[in-house]
Amino acid sequence: MKVEQFRADLRAWLDEHDLTPGPDHSLQGHMRQYTRVLRALYDADWMRYGWPEEVGGLGGPAMLRAVVGEEVVGRRLAEPGPYSMLEVLTPTMIDYAPVELAAEMVPRLLRGEEQWCQGFSEPGSGSDLASLTTRAVQDGDNWVVNGQKVWTSYAQYSTRCVLLTRTAPGYDGITAFFVDLDTPGITVRPLRTMHGVDEFCEVYYDDVVVPAERMLGKPGDGWRLAMDLLPYERSTCFWQRIAYLYARFDELIAQASDPDEYELGAAYLALHTLRCRSRTTQHRLADGEPLGPQTSIDKVLLAGAEQRLYDTVRDLLPGTLELDDTPWRSEFLYSRAATIYGGTAEIQRNIIARRLLDLGKE
Amino acid sequence: MDSESLQLLEDGLRKTMATASGQQLDAALAELGWLEMLDEMPEAAVPLVFRLLGETGAHAPVLNDVVLRAAGREGGGTVPLPFAGGSWVVWGRTDQPSSALGDDLPIHRVVQGDPVPVAAGRHALGWWLVGAGRAMLSLARQHALDRSQFGRPVASFQAIRHRLAETLVGIEGAEATLVAAAAEPDDLSFLLAKAAAGQAALTAARHCQQVLGGIGFTAEHELHRHIKRALVLDAMLGSSRELTREAGKALRAKGFAPRLAQL
Repeated sequence: MKVEQFRADLRAWLDEHDLTPGPDHSLQGHMRQYTRVLRALYDADWMRYGWPEEVGGLGGPAMLRAVVGEEVVGRRLAEPGPYSMLEVLTPTMIDYAPVELAAEMVPRLLRGEEQWCQGFSEPGSGSDLASLTTRAVQDGDNWVVNGQKVWTSYAQYSTRCVLLTRTAPGYDGITAFFVDLDTPGITVRPLRTMHGVDEFCEVYYDDVVVPAERMLGKPGDGWRLAMDLLPYERSTCFWQRIAYLYARFDELIAQASDPDEYELGAAYLALHTLRCRSRTTQHRLADGEPLGPQTSIDKVLLAGAEQRLYDTVRDLLPGTLELDDTPWRSEFLYSRAATIYGGTAEIQRNIIARRLLDLGKE
Repeated sequence: MDSESLQLLEDGLRKTMATASGQQLDAALAELGWLEMLDEMPEAAVPLVFRLLGETGAHAPVLNDVVLRAAGREGGGTVPLPFAGGSWVVWGRTDQPSSALGDDLPIHRVVQGDPVPVAAGRHALGWWLVGAGRAMLSLARQHALDRSQFGRPVASFQAIRHRLAETLVGIEGAEATLVAAAAEPDDLSFLLAKAAAGQAALTAARHCQQVLGGIGFTAEHELHRHIKRALVLDAMLGSSRELTREAGKALRAKGFAPRLAQL
């Protein structure tokens, strides 16, 4: 199917089916709206294109998913955060979960019946993710997990978690599991953050029993799983985030009281450059090129463009952030984290220096 | 043209540009069929020729041809071109010295010119700037690996590494805007691509100059040629600063931000 035709058909469908969010702008409200949109899109098949048939999809190129994400998020029908989890975790399940498990679970995610989360970061393991210490110890047909995760997005709304654990020393000693969050021994505690939206959680694991068939891949595959997920996070996911930023930029253009054309143009140039780069990345992915360290460039561009956009919001809507209770405030504050989450800007530059510029060891 | 023939063409062009510049290179390019390539395969020829001018540091007045052909006129001559600050210049097809920065470009101020289509010229200059950025990055990278201080290569210091990484981010981003503009030709796309490329080259100049330290400030080292070239090319057909403002003006007029690059 041609991408242009697919986009045109989807747009026509969205024009006919009103999925506009209701008045509840709390995080809970956003999650409910997300679920509603997913269900409608799945029932009308839009959510199934670009996923393999084995997991309830209808096949076709991954780019179709980016098109759906762009339209849905760009029209502000769903927030990009929860949506991005689906885009990251589904390929992970397809590539690493036992076939039957993926076939059973993935449709629930695509239909919006369940939300899943990603248990990677720990209090002692941020940029140095490979130093993680949450332990999994084999006990007959089960594994017993002990430890603490942090920055687990949407854990309080999630039914399952893709969890990285330590089963042996080193990079090869990291093992991933697909864990039911209602298992005894799991405690979820939302974190208060500076932007006032409690999407990040601390998750504690105390003697949590996980069946061996819930292992993703083999023992020691966890690091590879984490690395394999990055190209998805930084292609289709980024494309919908970019659509979101453009939508907010349109709003800024409409509201801007300070007519500084240079500032406006600079924000646009940053967004446009990011969008073009992301387009290139998705064409590379579609052509079957392996995407590794190159996506660090996309990440640096995204974080830079996002912060530039919200700095421009503050400059061109003087006084608004500080005095008025509008969505701009929370969004501006959230944008401060863009150079921190998903691999800090410094880590990305280290990767670019080492892997793309071949500058040798630090 | 298949990829093997393109590679052969690239190798040939690179060799030519390594030995000739200015009027001599202009003649050599004509000999190689530059004007025919411009008519028959501009989508391959323009990025290739202009990127290589940047990478090799050579120059030739071929921007004239791109602008003339876009205006539906014969190639091979000259045409007054808009320059930063509302100035107009002519890029001569001689080796006559001028007061333009760098001593080697035959670019002269003229009183004024007639409006010319600029999109294709901006596309070409964008590739030239990206090529110049890559040349500077390559010089700075090699220096960082070769130069030892405090008993280790300066490339091992994070401050150096991050400057070079930032340079590559700018160049790769600009290249993506050029590719996207060529895929869906549009005046605003070419304007943005030229702005991105100018910005990337100026970023490369700043970071690479710093990484090269003292040697990069000498006339003996070739970095200064690329820096001066980038400054002149950035100002040609609108500087990145002017184009960025022009983009902002377009947004205000439209009332929204066009999504220019489609999947």
